[in-house]
Amino acid sequence: MPETAFAELDFKSKLKMDLFPTIWCPGCGIGTIMIELAMVLDELGMDQGNTVIVTGIGCTGRMGSYMKYEAVYTLHGRTLPVAEAIKTVRPELNVIVVAGDGDTASIGGNHLIHAIRRNAPITVLCNNNEIYGLTGGQTGPTTPSGTKTLSSPGGNPNTPINLQGIVRSSPHSLYARTTVYHQPQMRTAIREAIEHPGFSFVDITSQCIENNGRRIGFANANEMLTFYRKTYKRAPKGADRLGPHELGILYPEGHANGTNGNDTDGATSGPTATTPAETVPQTGAGASPRAERASVSDDEKARKRAESQKRLALMQRLDPAVKLQVAKGEVSLADALRAAGIDPEELG
Amino acid sequence: MRRLVQGNEAVFRGAVAAGASYYAGYPISPSTEILNIASGWATEHPEFGFLQAEDEIASANSVIGASLAGAKAFTATSGPGFSLMQEAIGYAQKVGVPSVFVDVQRVGPATGMPTMPGQGDIAQVRYGSSGDYTPIAFYPNSVAEAFLMATNAFNAAEESRSPVILLSDTFVAHLNEVVDLDELAAGVTVAPRELTPLARNGDGEPRFFAGVLMYEHGPNAGEPATADADEYLRQFYAAKHRHLEVANRYALYQHGWNTEASTLVVCYGIVSRVAAPLAPDYALFRPIRIHPMLTDELRAVADRYEEIVVIEANDGQYADMAELALRRDVKRIPLLGGRISLEAVNAGLDRVLGGGPSEPPVPEPPAERAPRAPLGIG
Repeated sequence: MPETAFAELDFKSKLKMDLFPTIWCPGCGIGTIMIELAMVLDELGMDQGNTVIVTGIGCTGRMGSYMKYEAVYTLHGRTLPVAEAIKTVRPELNVIVVAGDGDTASIGGNHLIHAIRRNAPITVLCNNNEIYGLTGGQTGPTTPSGTKTLSSPGGNPNTPINLQGIVRSSPHSLYARTTVYHQPQMRTAIREAIEHPGFSFVDITSQCIENNGRRIGFANANEMLTFYRKTYKRAPKGADRLGPHELGILYPEGHANGTNGNDTDGATSGPTATTPAETVPQTGAGASPRAERASVSDDEKARKRAESQKRLALMQRLDPAVKLQVAKGEVSLADALRAAGIDPEELG
Repeated sequence: MRRLVQGNEAVFRGAVAAGASYYAGYPISPSTEILNIASGWATEHPEFGFLQAEDEIASANSVIGASLAGAKAFTATSGPGFSLMQEAIGYAQKVGVPSVFVDVQRVGPATGMPTMPGQGDIAQVRYGSSGDYTPIAFYPNSVAEAFLMATNAFNAAEESRSPVILLSDTFVAHLNEVVDLDELAAGVTVAPRELTPLARNGDGEPRFFAGVLMYEHGPNAGEPATADADEYLRQFYAAKHRHLEVANRYALYQHGWNTEASTLVVCYGIVSRVAAPLAPDYALFRPIRIHPMLTDELRAVADRYEEIVVIEANDGQYADMAELALRRDVKRIPLLGGRISLEAVNAGLDRVLGGGPSEPPVPEPPAERAPRAPLGIG
C-alpha cells in the first residue's frame, strides 16, 4: 500500500499560525470547523490563487482573518450577494462562504433563499451554534424552542427555522448536516459541498459553551460534544430527508451519488433518482470532479477508513518525536515502525 | 450616429464607456430602464456580468463583491432603494471599494410620489451611512452630461478607491435628447484599476477586506484595531485626503447666464433646465460635482452678487450647505411634491425677492371629491 503522509498536519500551511491564539473563547467550535475546512482545502489543492473566503459578521466571521486566503469580511448578513458576485466575475475561483446561523438565516435570510433560487455556484458553511454568541447569547433563528437565552428568559417561544427545508426547496442544491463532534463526516460533507458545482450548504451544529451552553446546563464544551455524539446519528440509507438529529448529505436531483450520501449504490436508489439528469443545470464546464469520485463505493470507503484507523493506532505506539518526523514526511511510517520493532505488515 | 437617447440610457452607456463590466440592480422607478438596458447588454456581451438581485441591499453588496473580484461595477436605484444601500456604501467607504451608485431621485420620503421628480437625496448622499466619510457625487442636467458624468464617476471611483454617487432625477432620467454616443465615447479616458483583484495577489500576504477596523500595515497587520484611536485616525485621514484630492480633479460647476445681474440663482439637475428662461435677468451657479461641497468655487462666484437664491426640489438641503460654506444668508425656493415648473420658480422668486417666506402657500384641501389627479406636472 502507498505510504500515506499524514495530511492532517499539512492544513497548517493554510492557516496564519502567527496570529494564533485566535480570539475565540476556549471550547468554541469554530476552530474545529476552520481546521476541517483547511484540511479539505489542502486536500483539494485549493490555494490563495484559486479560492476566496467570504465571511459574515460575528465570531464566525473572523475565520477569514486566520486563513491564508484572500477573504472578504462582509457586512452582517451580506455574505451571499458578495460571494455570488465574486463567482460571477471570476468563475474560475472557488468561493466559500463561512457564516453563523444568525448571519445566514436571520439577517441574511432573504439572500439565502434567493441564492438558492438562482443556484449560485458557491458553498456555504453555516456555523450553527443556535445562539447569537458575540453579543452575549440572544435567541437566534435556529435556537430550539424553549431554550432560555438573554432575549428569551422564559424560553424561546418560536420554532427554529428549517434550514434543510429552505435549502432543499430547490432541486439543485446540496444540503449536508454535521456537527463539530463528527469530524470525519464534517470533512466529507465540506468536501462534497465544495465539489458540488451548484449551490451547497453545510449546516454544522457547533457549541458555544460560553454564551449558550453554560446557560442551558452544560458544564463545559466536552459535555456539549458528548451530547452531540450521543444525540446525532447517521441518517438511514436512502433517506431523502434528514430527521431531527440525523446527519448526512442530501444530494440534488440527478446527482451521481443519488439522493443521500448514505446510499449503498449511489445513482439508482432514492425516490428522486427517476428525475432526468438533464433538469440539473450544469454550472461548471464539462464533467465535475464529482463524477470520478462517484465510482468509489461505500465498501471501498469503509475499507479506506479502516486502514486509516489502523495506521493511526500504529502511530500511537511510536515515540512522539518519531511521530512528528513521520507526520512531516521525513521518515516513512513503515521505516519508523521497523525501527521501533513493530512489524509494518500489521498495516495490512 | 446622432439619435435620441434617454438620460438613463446615457448613464448606462457612459458606464460601459468607462469600463463597467458588472451591473446589479432591483427594479424601481424611475431608474428601471438602466436595469432593463443592462440585462439586454449582458445578453449581447457575455463578459458583462448582470444580476437582478432580490433587493437593493443585495444589489449594493453584489457590486462590492464584483468590484473586489476585479470588475468595474455599478448599480442604479431611486431614493427608497438608495436608503437600503447606505450600509453597503459605508462598507465600500471603509474598505475602499471602487464602485458607482446611481440614484435617480423621486419624491420621498418612503414610497412618496414614485413617478414624480425630486431632489431630496442631496443630504442622504452626503450623510446617509453611519460614521464619517467623504463621498464624491456628480449630478448632470442633460443626456450628454449624464453620459460624461457616468464616466467621471467611474474614473473618480477608481482613483479615490471609493463608492462614487451619480445623481439624477426623474426628468433627467427620462429626458430624450439627440446625442452621438460614439462621439462621446471616443473622448473618454478610462482610469485603470489599481486595487489588485481578489486572489490575484500572487504569493503576497492574503488580504482581509474587513468592515471592522483592522491594522493594515506594520507589525500588527491582520490583527483587529477595534479599540485603537490612533489607527482609526491613520486610516480615516488617509481616505479623506485621498477622496478630497481626487474630488479636486473634478471640481465641475457651471457659472453662467447673465453674469452682470445682481442675483445669483443656485440650482442643479433638472431644476437648472426648467429655470433656464431666467437667463436674461439672473446669474447661474450650477454645481455638477455636488459633493464634496464646492466651497471655494461657490464663494468666489457668490462674492459678486447681492442676492443668492437656491432653487431646488427639496426643502433646502443644498441651501443649508451653501449657507455653511458662504457664511451668509441665502434665499430658498423649495419646489416640493414634484412641482418643478417655471411657474413655480417664478412664483418663488416673486415671493422670496419681495421679502416673503420661502414656504409656498399651502392650499386648503378640496371640499369635494376631486377628479383623479392627472399624471405629470401639477
